[in-house]
Amino acid sequence: MNQTPNDPRSRQPRFRGLEAGHRACQGCGEALAARLVTEAAGPDVILTNATGCLEVFTTSWPQSAWRVPWLHSLFENSAAIASGVEAALKAQGRRSKVIAMGGDGGTFDIGFQALSGMLERMHNVLYVCYDNEAYMNTGIQRSSSTPHAAMTTTSPPGKERMGKRHLKKDLLSIIAAHHIPYAASASVAYPQDLRRKVRRAMEIDGPTFLLVHSPCPLGWGHDGSETIQVARLAVQCGLFPLVELERGEVASVMPLRQKAPVTEYLRLQTRFRHLFVDDDHRAREEREHLQALADYNVERYGLTGDGDDPFDADGADTVRRGGPARA
Amino acid sequence: MPTPMNRGAFAQAGSSLAFKTGTWRSAKPVHVHATAPCHGACPAGEDQQAWLALLQEGKPQQAWERLVTTNPLPAISGRVCPHPCESACNRGQYDQPIAIHGIERWLGDEAIRHNWPYPRRAGDARPERVAVVGAGPAGLSAAYHLAQRKFNVVLFDSLPEPGGLLRSAIPPTRLPRSIIDAEIGRLLSLGIEFRPRTALGRDVSLDDLRSEFDAVFLGIGAGKSRHWDVDGAVPADLHEGLALLREWLAVGALPHPNAVVIHGGGNTAVDLARIMRRAGVRDVHVVTASGLPGPGTESDDVLNVVPRELEQAIEEGVQFHPHRTINRLIMRGSKVVGVEMVRLKKLPDGNGHKARVSFEGTETVLHVDMVVPAIGEVVDPTGLEAILRQKDYLGVDRFGQVNGHPGLFAGGDARDGIKGHSSGTVSAAIGDGRRAAEGIDALLSGRDADEEKRPALPYTALNLSYYESSPRIELSTLPLEKRDDSSEIEGGPNTVDALAEAQRCFSCGNCLACDNCWTLCPDNAVLKTMETASDGSHYLFDYDFCKGCGLCAKECPCGFIAMSEDE
Repeated sequence: MNQTPNDPRSRQPRFRGLEAGHRACQGCGEALAARLVTEAAGPDVILTNATGCLEVFTTSWPQSAWRVPWLHSLFENSAAIASGVEAALKAQGRRSKVIAMGGDGGTFDIGFQALSGMLERMHNVLYVCYDNEAYMNTGIQRSSSTPHAAMTTTSPPGKERMGKRHLKKDLLSIIAAHHIPYAASASVAYPQDLRRKVRRAMEIDGPTFLLVHSPCPLGWGHDGSETIQVARLAVQCGLFPLVELERGEVASVMPLRQKAPVTEYLRLQTRFRHLFVDDDHRAREEREHLQALADYNVERYGLTGDGDDPFDADGADTVRRGGPARA
Repeated sequence: MPTPMNRGAFAQAGSSLAFKTGTWRSAKPVHVHATAPCHGACPAGEDQQAWLALLQEGKPQQAWERLVTTNPLPAISGRVCPHPCESACNRGQYDQPIAIHGIERWLGDEAIRHNWPYPRRAGDARPERVAVVGAGPAGLSAAYHLAQRKFNVVLFDSLPEPGGLLRSAIPPTRLPRSIIDAEIGRLLSLGIEFRPRTALGRDVSLDDLRSEFDAVFLGIGAGKSRHWDVDGAVPADLHEGLALLREWLAVGALPHPNAVVIHGGGNTAVDLARIMRRAGVRDVHVVTASGLPGPGTESDDVLNVVPRELEQAIEEGVQFHPHRTINRLIMRGSKVVGVEMVRLKKLPDGNGHKARVSFEGTETVLHVDMVVPAIGEVVDPTGLEAILRQKDYLGVDRFGQVNGHPGLFAGGDARDGIKGHSSGTVSAAIGDGRRAAEGIDALLSGRDADEEKRPALPYTALNLSYYESSPRIELSTLPLEKRDDSSEIEGGPNTVDALAEAQRCFSCGNCLACDNCWTLCPDNAVLKTMETASDGSHYLFDYDFCKGCGLCAKECPCGFIAMSEDE
């Protein structure tokens, strides 16, 4: 709207599914993730959206930041709506892809049964979960995706607890147990890898799932400029492994050439601030616990290695100077 | 603009563009083309980052053309420059610096091989005439840059061939004569009138030049050896280092002592030591007050020699005695039979200056039958008495104008130190010539001389997540047994290596078109254009929507984006 053909915005060499003017916070990881996903998916899609930040900040009535068909109904039913849309398209003989979206609250917790049902019924839908590890839209309440020891408004650190007592739910394994053709994790810090995974999922006829790690500067307590840095460290320390699963089996992983210590990741975020209190022995214990969880991931998925990472394999638009040149 | 309302419960696609989130911003990203450290350190003023970038695009000729806008003699400087650019290179803090001198040399050699012509600056011919005295690096550079600015240039030299010390004081093992001939020949063919065998003070006087020409540039070098004695004692058959070197280069004559000590720590000392050693002198000692590079030697106290030349000299058997000076000559009659050395070091005195302090009780004796001083040179005052006024060098401002003499300019080894500019190298002379051309142009055009200054880019401004360790290319060196008096000792890189090495450049301070800002902006506020935007990159900030998060600045690999306060 309101654009001349010579306006540089209308001449961008990429598809913009999510337009500027949305109301996300400065440095929002989820806004970036959604833009990257829709960019890779292209125009021939219908989106459904669970309640959450993404829904709120993109559609302040009477405006919308979306440039593709987009529906929102409730918190718990993004996957159910997507199932219905897909069934209707199928009845009409149309081939448009359906993408269901939700945050970790709408996916790990509230919309979990709808998601499981969608996967079980083998709908041709890509479900994308933007994982920012708490209910950010309502004021940073813990979700089942919140990592162990993180501070939220409902898991405050204090005399009794060091942040969240429980562990982050291993959703990907639960998804994998549905024996679907493709499920993967991705991160906004590795945009090429993320887009490649979206394209891979789009071309599969059947249910696919993508878990996208999307830092929340407000909820995690880091500067908006550090969103990518935080996301990158989450991957590089092993706490958020980037993996691809086909029919439940690990098909590929992004190797970590140089593993970062988890403290490097934790230290950037005030949600882990209590883990760096000098005279509290529990702080050290929890830091070691998180390091052990990262090491467990590294061992479980075999992340150490010097193979290709997405900078090498799909480096069309991100620099890598020096280092192995692989075609 | 009001957003249209619909009767159904839906919104128009992309209608959020009516909501300008740019109003939220308190800081805004701006493109800052900072100075890469190589550029900042280059005495000749080259922007290495700029020409490496063109090489990365696979455009060697354009890279060379960019290079010669500042330095017309890359095949020469790539061979003889001590490359402070590489010491400053940010990559040196990451793994190893880019082999800039090797790539520069390769570009220079390619230009000779393909006979690439110099790119010519646009502009009308100027009526003014400028005399350039001395066809060494400073004079050649001044003549080149003046010719590029369309002045009528006449280049004088006392010798029959142009080149100055490139020809008379640098051995062909470091700088083959064919390279000198090719680069200087191309330079002179720009329409510069060359008058050889014309010495200042003998064949032409400075007053004549000043009345005949609109401006005069003196690139006369420092041709007179600095006075040397030890407590007033001088051997009867004293030979100065530079004189020996010149004689050897001109006629191949060299004295053959059994053992020699060369006093001095510059290229003359080391070149001469290597030549004498290769000529079969059994013991060649170099005594220098400076230290050898390495831990424990401060950077302002290191031998002023290209580091790799030093390594080669040691390989060839030259014995160095760093942090020492000659205390006493041991004479039998008027003949030297040995020298007494004493250790010394540059130490701070009480006034914040550094001075050399010798340490009593550390005296040692070297048995030699010849002592050669090579402690530096000063300007030969012939024909310049009125201007030099008993001083060793000519005092000049940043653009080479001789203090108190409007219209008279000087550069290269003939000038005194200038704050912020290094001295005493071929590259420094080339830089002097270029700045003097600007000074002369400004004077004759009635404006102030100006030079582009950009902020420096520190290592910490790079985002190293986007770089990966990669070793520097190896450059070949002639094996010890094959070294003689004429074969070039150092090899240059081949095409594959030169292009690969250019790829290692971090592109400090300049956009390398990686798309990071465009890809990672959560607000779609970075736009890409087909044209090069005015700031030198292909990206535009859409300040209508930029919320000022600073993510693009953080994720820019090369420090090209900075956040600035916004009103």
